[in-house]
Amino acid sequence: MVGPTASLSVLSRADGSASYKCPATGYNILGAVNGPVELPGRRDALKPEDATVEIFIKPGTTTGGVGERATETILKSVLGNLVLGREKGFPRRGVVLTLNIVGGENVERGDSYLTLLPALLHAGLLAMISASIPLSMTLSAALLGVTTSGDIVQNPGPAAAKSVVSLHVLAFSSKGHLLLNESRGRFDFDTWELVRARALSICQGAHDGDVAMGEGENAASVNAFIRETAEDQIYSDYAHKLDSI
Amino acid sequence: MSKEAQLSIAERDFILEALRQDVRLDGRKPDEYRPLNITFGEEYGHVNLQLGKTHIIVRISAEVTKPRDDRPFDGLFNINMELTNMGSPAWDNGRSNDLEAAVTHTLDRVIRHSNALDTESLCILKGVSCWSIRADVHVLDYDGNLTDAACIATMAGLQHFRRPDAVVRDGKVIVYGVEQRVPVALNITHKPLSVTFHTYNDSKHVIVDATLKEEQAAEGDLVIGINNAGDLCYASKIAGAPVDAMVIVTKTSIAWEKVKVLNAAIDKVLQADLAKRAKVGMADESRAENDREVQPE
Amino acid sequence: MSAPLVLLPSDEVPREHLPSNKSNPLRLGPGLRLLSQPTSQAGDSNHVLTATQAGLLTTDAKRNTVSLLSFPNRRYVPTVNDLIIAQIHHSSIDFFHCIVTPNTAHALLGQLSFEGATKKTRPQLKQGELVYARVQSVGVGAGAEVELTCVNPATGKADGGLGPLVGGMVFDVSTGMAARLIRASSASPDNTDAVEGLVILGELGRKLESLGGFELAVGRNGKVWVDCSNAGESAIAVTVAIGRCLQETDQHNLHPHDQKKLVTRILRDLKLAS
Repeated sequence: MVGPTASLSVLSRADGSASYKCPATGYNILGAVNGPVELPGRRDALKPEDATVEIFIKPGTTTGGVGERATETILKSVLGNLVLGREKGFPRRGVVLTLNIVGGENVERGDSYLTLLPALLHAGLLAMISASIPLSMTLSAALLGVTTSGDIVQNPGPAAAKSVVSLHVLAFSSKGHLLLNESRGRFDFDTWELVRARALSICQGAHDGDVAMGEGENAASVNAFIRETAEDQIYSDYAHKLDSI
Repeated sequence: MSKEAQLSIAERDFILEALRQDVRLDGRKPDEYRPLNITFGEEYGHVNLQLGKTHIIVRISAEVTKPRDDRPFDGLFNINMELTNMGSPAWDNGRSNDLEAAVTHTLDRVIRHSNALDTESLCILKGVSCWSIRADVHVLDYDGNLTDAACIATMAGLQHFRRPDAVVRDGKVIVYGVEQRVPVALNITHKPLSVTFHTYNDSKHVIVDATLKEEQAAEGDLVIGINNAGDLCYASKIAGAPVDAMVIVTKTSIAWEKVKVLNAAIDKVLQADLAKRAKVGMADESRAENDREVQPE
Repeated sequence: MSAPLVLLPSDEVPREHLPSNKSNPLRLGPGLRLLSQPTSQAGDSNHVLTATQAGLLTTDAKRNTVSLLSFPNRRYVPTVNDLIIAQIHHSSIDFFHCIVTPNTAHALLGQLSFEGATKKTRPQLKQGELVYARVQSVGVGAGAEVELTCVNPATGKADGGLGPLVGGMVFDVSTGMAARLIRASSASPDNTDAVEGLVILGELGRKLESLGGFELAVGRNGKVWVDCSNAGESAIAVTVAIGRCLQETDQHNLHPHDQKKLVTRILRDLKLAS
């Protein structure tokens, strides 16, 4: 299977940006972050000593609706909590993350946004990294479906997702802690445990042995992918410094 | 804070003084556009456009819907633009601003009201079903001249887009998938584009394709919508300092020249992309045939 | 210096990368924080340095600092002692309210924070005018205001060209580029080698000397002020040339070799050199 591709700092106006393409589901997401900025009004009144994280999802060929707003809430609970909003310059300010779905099929109204969630999480995280927003950790996410025959499939696209019995999105911190679990459909606890183990091996690389993903497993993990993407950009931005070493 | 930070006095004075000497900050001539780069995505009607640092993606989509009661023979066509915090930190997510309203209005006038897309050809069954074509303009980076950039991208998208084929059989509408029948191009009646001018120093200096800083230093603007044949379909001088009527006349002919050049540029990338698709399509077909030969086992 | 090391948020700084200077306390630059990890033994805790941003780890053994170089396109966050170019937004009785970066809260610049300023002689700055200022304080916690000054509080003098910037032109560059320009220009002025991989200023200086040279002020907030009033008739062209050279070097992250070519090309474009 072709792995995802991503690059950082693709836009010029935003403080940080990232593009993330997932060939398996066909999604292409652009994320942009501005921060720390002043938010209009007094939206910061609730927690003045912390930064306010705002997330906006713009669908590609429709106007945003309930689905987008619900997904924004999920993203905010994950990405928003990674932001160290008390670092210098951040309290009372805002961090605004805008995610634009620039490629791939629309999620039809009423359909689940789960198929898009990992791509949105990765694009959002990379954009925050690109804007140098202080973060407590990084994360990686996986999308898995369980078919009628009980097989676990990775990254089912919007069409394939319609035929699965259950659909799961799990996100883990870079240290392997579970940060997010969104599941839909019918499944029992044993199935979920299998799904979790599989998702962890996708995100972290296979170190359990029993779910080996073939050789070079670490290079194929989502975690390693996020790291490489950031490293590539740092190396190219600081080429002038690295040359002289 | 939904406003761009104002220009400093130094920047404004310098831009005006430089224009007096016919110098622009990026070295362009007054009638010169920034480098235009158009690419198409995998999907039909997906346009990625960069005009200097202004960066736009337009996606065209189609769905079958019911025509409006008062126009049973017409399909629907809408252009949607929602400015987000991505394009400029000055824009608030979920709130429209003056620029959004102004650009949407111009796009509507130049493309939709001039009937560039023949909406009657979108009718499938009178009063029952028709195509609804939607253009979504996504602004990724804003560095001035949003109007012209959005206009070029939308027109390129409409010409590139292919909608699924649909037929009426026994009073029922059948929509064929893209793999079942070759999708159909839209019926474009003419190719209007907008050309935006900005005026400086009592309209002694008039430039096209202003960057954001040039726009901020301007005293007024002038938008001309015109097609290849020289038919004027939109002219606006809504606000700002007055300009001499003759300026509008001379600039209209410059706009015509510019539109011809821009349309040629669109044509060139469009033909290149279609040729590329034809090649890939043929390769796919032969591969599909091979697959079929293998299948019986 | 050891091999380049890129850290991501939550990565620990390996001990062997820390400078081994024991005479000064270790100073942490931006992008790093100190965390205490409680160990199994009661009352004993283990300190680790972890990254909060992605960046290249750099250390300075002489000053005993360790910091993380993050992406150059990031937004400027005011830090004490930084030199910046601020734009006056409005003034109140005691302060000028200044824009440091767009869409953030205004920074305060005291009406008397100028060299030799008294109630009668203080500068009358209008909206949109520019000042070259130093960040005096950034405050702590929520609602803290950034304070600027145009004098050195110790001497009462406007060191290093602090004060109002009159005429000229400002160009926007990335904050990373601004930091490089400052480091490059603070290195010895006779040094013609590439400092921070930048030869652009030296190259421009040499080629434009005959035209009267130019004056430059770099703000850490990503602004470069250029004044060429000595260049007479070609002042506009020279200013435009400098601005374009800086911005193109920044945007395309040009190699020193390409920077020289760029200067030659742009000066020829603007008919400033044969």
